[in-house]
Amino acid sequence: MTAPQARVASAPSAEEFQLRGELPMTQQPAVPFIEIETLRTREFLPAAKEALSAWIAEEGQAKVLRPVFNWAGRNSLFPLHWGLACCAIEFAAGFGARWDAERFGVVPRSSPRQCDLMIVNGTVTWKVAHKLITLYEQMPEPKWVIAMGNCATGGGPFRTAYSVVPGVDKLVPVDVYIAGCPPRPEAMLDGILRLEQLIRERKE
Amino acid sequence: MQPEDVQRALGPKIGPRLVAVEAFPGTAGRVRFQREAALDVFHAVHDDLGFLHLSMVGGIDWVDRREVFYVVWSDDTKQYLFLSTDVPANDAHVESASPVWPSANWHERETWELVDIVFDHHPDLRHLLMPDGYVFHPLLRSFKLHEPEELEVKTRHV
Repeated sequence: MTAPQARVASAPSAEEFQLRGELPMTQQPAVPFIEIETLRTREFLPAAKEALSAWIAEEGQAKVLRPVFNWAGRNSLFPLHWGLACCAIEFAAGFGARWDAERFGVVPRSSPRQCDLMIVNGTVTWKVAHKLITLYEQMPEPKWVIAMGNCATGGGPFRTAYSVVPGVDKLVPVDVYIAGCPPRPEAMLDGILRLEQLIRERKE
Repeated sequence: MQPEDVQRALGPKIGPRLVAVEAFPGTAGRVRFQREAALDVFHAVHDDLGFLHLSMVGGIDWVDRREVFYVVWSDDTKQYLFLSTDVPANDAHVESASPVWPSANWHERETWELVDIVFDHHPDLRHLLMPDGYVFHPLLRSFKLHEPEELEVKTRHV
């Protein structure tokens, strides 16, 4: 009985890498190599700064830092904690124990100064329109808006009413629309995840 | 309290400006009066009959005229009383009930902005449900539903 042989994959050749559109390790852009010992010294920070600066100088600031900011931003979306109508009930349920939107880093905050996401959950009337704009303008950049439900999307059943804004996109720019009357919390979470996808692809 | 009691209490003070006191099921009655007697009727109902609580104020558009009605409540007899008066549509104003019942303030603001009945000597006749500068009175029968874009333009730029 022979001992089982360990399956050792042979390293792909340079031609195979290029077939797959990748560069072999030896030909990747040179990132300055940092000895593990230097992590324990005071010279680590200057060395890291130098390495990062060299990388940025080579690739450009947007290409290096934008994915980092996108990664941080999409994993800590803080929506404004407010409610306009019955969609706010679903909004509240989405942050409860059953659906738990906090596992995506979505934590409602009570101050617009701490928010980067406004979920418009309900019917927007002309009376509340300028308050909504004020809250939106108080939020720091970058910021996103989700129109949740039919009312915020296009006025819903109250579209021709005398007091209802026919769609919140007449007031603020909207990134994601969620249909439903009201949408279930799964739909709200789906909208948030689609917004995260938008942020992941953000170039500017 | 019966409508006859209301008639007996209000008749000497209001005189011919009191149009009628009608029976109304479940209440102490409905007092119809001319609008010139409004403040006298309010004082008499509040001070003499003891209806201390103003429950609601509303307006009705009857096209040729408009009706203002008040619903007051007495804690002593546990009864409602209706007060109503007619105003012509082209000259729709009536004396405010705010000096007698302070809770009339917001009700009259709402009645003014929805049915376009002006309340004289009101302390603060501003919009309540609509944004400032809203030009329509949407519960009038002459109000037509607007296209959203048209309403948006007229609401934003006034």
